[in-house]
Amino acid sequence: MELTVIPQIVKFASENTREIGDVLGIGPELRVRWAEGLLDKGPVEDTIFYAGEMYPVMGYAEGAFRLTKRLEGLMNINSLARIGPIMKKLRVYAIGARALWGKNNEIYENALRDAVYVLRNLGVKMSYLFEEEPPSGVALHTYGLLKEFKEHAKWVQNRFRELGVKRVITLDPIVTTAFRLYYPEFLEDWDVEVLHFVEIVAKRIAELGIKLKLGRKEKVTYHDPCYLARTLGIVDETRFILSRIDGLEYLEPPRHGVNTGCSGDGGLELTQPLLARKISLDRVKELRETGAEKVYTSCPACIMMLRTGFNALGYRTDVNDLASLIAEAMRNGIIEEKPATVKFRRYHVLPESPKPKSLDSDDLAELLLRETDRCKKCAFCNVECPVARALDKLESRSARGRMTLINSLVRGDPVRPEAVLDRLYSCVLCAQCSQTCPVGLHVQELIIYGRAYAIYSGKAGV
Amino acid sequence: MAELMLYTPVRLVSNELTYYLSLLLEVGVYMNGNSFDDAISEIKRKIGKKKVLIEPGDLYAYSLDASTERREAPGAIVRTYADEDVITTLKVADEKRIPVIPRGGGTSLTGASIPVVPKSIVLDLTPMDDIQVNIDDGYAMAEAGATVLQVDQACRNEGFFFPPDPASSRYATIGGALAENAGGLRGAKFGVMKNWVLAMEVVIPGGKKLRIGEPVLKWRWGPDLISLFIGSEGTLGVITRAWLRIYPLPEKVVRIMGVFNKLEDAGRAISEIRRRGYLPMMLELLDKETVDIVEEVLGYKFPKGEAMVIVDVDGPIEAVWRLARQVENVMKENRGKTETSDDPEKMKNLYLARQGAYAAVTRAYPSVLHEDITVPLSKLVDALRELDNLRRKYGLRMPVFGHAGDGNLHPDICFDPSDKAQARKAKEMFKKVGELAVRLGGAVSGEHGIGFVKKEIFLEEIKSVRGENYLELVRKVKRVLDPNGIMNPGKLWF
Repeated sequence: MELTVIPQIVKFASENTREIGDVLGIGPELRVRWAEGLLDKGPVEDTIFYAGEMYPVMGYAEGAFRLTKRLEGLMNINSLARIGPIMKKLRVYAIGARALWGKNNEIYENALRDAVYVLRNLGVKMSYLFEEEPPSGVALHTYGLLKEFKEHAKWVQNRFRELGVKRVITLDPIVTTAFRLYYPEFLEDWDVEVLHFVEIVAKRIAELGIKLKLGRKEKVTYHDPCYLARTLGIVDETRFILSRIDGLEYLEPPRHGVNTGCSGDGGLELTQPLLARKISLDRVKELRETGAEKVYTSCPACIMMLRTGFNALGYRTDVNDLASLIAEAMRNGIIEEKPATVKFRRYHVLPESPKPKSLDSDDLAELLLRETDRCKKCAFCNVECPVARALDKLESRSARGRMTLINSLVRGDPVRPEAVLDRLYSCVLCAQCSQTCPVGLHVQELIIYGRAYAIYSGKAGV
Repeated sequence: MAELMLYTPVRLVSNELTYYLSLLLEVGVYMNGNSFDDAISEIKRKIGKKKVLIEPGDLYAYSLDASTERREAPGAIVRTYADEDVITTLKVADEKRIPVIPRGGGTSLTGASIPVVPKSIVLDLTPMDDIQVNIDDGYAMAEAGATVLQVDQACRNEGFFFPPDPASSRYATIGGALAENAGGLRGAKFGVMKNWVLAMEVVIPGGKKLRIGEPVLKWRWGPDLISLFIGSEGTLGVITRAWLRIYPLPEKVVRIMGVFNKLEDAGRAISEIRRRGYLPMMLELLDKETVDIVEEVLGYKFPKGEAMVIVDVDGPIEAVWRLARQVENVMKENRGKTETSDDPEKMKNLYLARQGAYAAVTRAYPSVLHEDITVPLSKLVDALRELDNLRRKYGLRMPVFGHAGDGNLHPDICFDPSDKAQARKAKEMFKKVGELAVRLGGAVSGEHGIGFVKKEIFLEEIKSVRGENYLELVRKVKRVLDPNGIMNPGKLWF
């Protein structure tokens, strides 16, 4: 196995993100297909519907992810990343992807169309930027390429200013997190308002006092995406929406809301697909045990992981986006009731983000040392760490182990930087650790800064 | 010469270098690079190379536990999935004289689960986590790597529970909890780990598996070898599985919180509760400093006083409230202001100060020395007063909370390690607290264990209370089971 410091796949993903806009490098042509004939171009009243770089092409990622399973043992994920650029040169990449996995992509494209349908019916005005939509670049943040992320964020900010965008509505919780939490951290005057689909839908349903009619009885469960529930604290809205759909029997999984379980994505699906699959199966079993016939969620990466997970276990349970369920019910009929003001709580379960003075490796080192020195090694973070769970509590790939290794790397213990980076990359960034840490360490963000340090310090030979 | 060294008690030296030299000589382990590499190759060949880790990126992750003091990174990690893995490792390690450190969740506060000598094998038992609950015969069988909480939950599914509940129970393993003789909040009524074992399987150096005791509720063997291994901190062998007693779930629990203006009043109330035989399931005490820190850091508000006492009583629904009222009355008789509830939400609130103690202390201070002394119940108030004097004398913050029901107190000495003077004071204070416990007729550790962190003060306690002969006797026992001194060197007595 080739062990470059940034595994080939991370290089592939980050180059694609910067140059083509999406992680797999599918390209804007296929990314905007879903909206053709549906939305007008340009902002309406400063507002756009923002599809992001995941939803429009997630089906291709799902196809590639399924392929890695078939090729297991024959080639690893990094060698797949090497084939991509060759296919691109031969100009068969996007065409090939579409021919192979276009069918997989329908459910994600439908989710976007359904979201637009729902918002419109609730009286929300918006348009779409089509090819001009700047990708959020959140994958750069995920993989610790923070300098590149900062640069990219500046560019996005300028694009939005040029295009007159002041308000963004999106279906993607990862993008929402990037715009709402990461951009303000990296940019001084980021002032774009970002709303997640469920926030608007819940508010409008309450204001209008309506109920939606599904037209059939169905047992469903909902998987809270970690970015939406734990990081952004949006939980009440989804439960309220589900309670306003007639015909649903809602079954709550044991781990839900801010305590949700991980479905195995968070970037791991690219760096360690086999491990990611193992984690997803843990969650799939839990969701299945609720007795639900259908699983809904609100994140493209979660949909992909749960779909492939159910498939791998041979279950026929369907996984779909919450937007598609709402749209289906809305098409079936709307029951008018009394308008009401509903208070949706915003949950704050994560500690304050650590802030380095700059992204220079000395400043990163200072921050990482100070923070990881505070770690008491109590292992509370390891209890729910999905990676530790999937690997029989292997310490070096657990939340606590990562804190130890970051400390060792910065301190100059004889650990190989590329080995540490490899262990930092085997994390799903679910932030369960940050939520549990009694000391108040934002473990998840320290892992991202640890990745950045390993890359930028030059120790890892990048 | 080696023989002679082995019987010489560790000289109690403050100079770290001399301390380590004496330690290395004492354990009789010779550091031979080749024999280590040979041993690892042999273990890999016999149990499969995937279970043996030698990449520094893995080794360093295993170089720390909740003591947060690193001494040495391990030379190798062996992850055990079956008894055979443990047996093979201990056989090869014994032949080649390689130190072996058994490790569970790595939550030891005293460094019991990390190496202090170079080129040692850390035996990671967490993958062995099978649990079988047998209600008919009244036990739960758990492998070493199952967490204490997993065992408890498995029992709860059947209407029973596993009473010992160390604060780390979510990650601490049965093997580790037994090796450390861990306690917990319910100790006031249910005691510690050693009170809950029916039988155990242990692998000793040379790779011999011993089954001690029987999974029946009554058996008599003598001498009791189970007790020999419990609390031995992995210095005699590796506990691989245990058959544990279980207990029916209480029908109902009621929580009473009392706040006292004077520490003495709280002390009297506690001893009165015990004297009248109410036997509460939990009896916790928090001093003013603890409550203050929790308020400062976590932003809660609590009633003011010198001490807060939290009591859980359990019993049949018809009787539990009568018992709760009796406890409440004792508190009131001693000028305590009380609040009582059986509502889960309210019970949580009554416990908030205790619940937040660890988080508040560790958030507010970069370094904390967790003390763990036990004093006779009659000396509880004296101990608290003396601790207060120490606090004043050294000028460091030291919240004191703990399991007053069994005389076990946790003074947490808070300091900033970058301030050399503070760090020195904290170390001195740590020693003084231990001495105080011994002087009052108690012990330097109630439940955290000795490891290497408390070794010095522990040996002082033993020498002053029992004399050198006692130490020699224990060392002889060690030599019978572990003649080459490979098991967890540098910890506890050895």
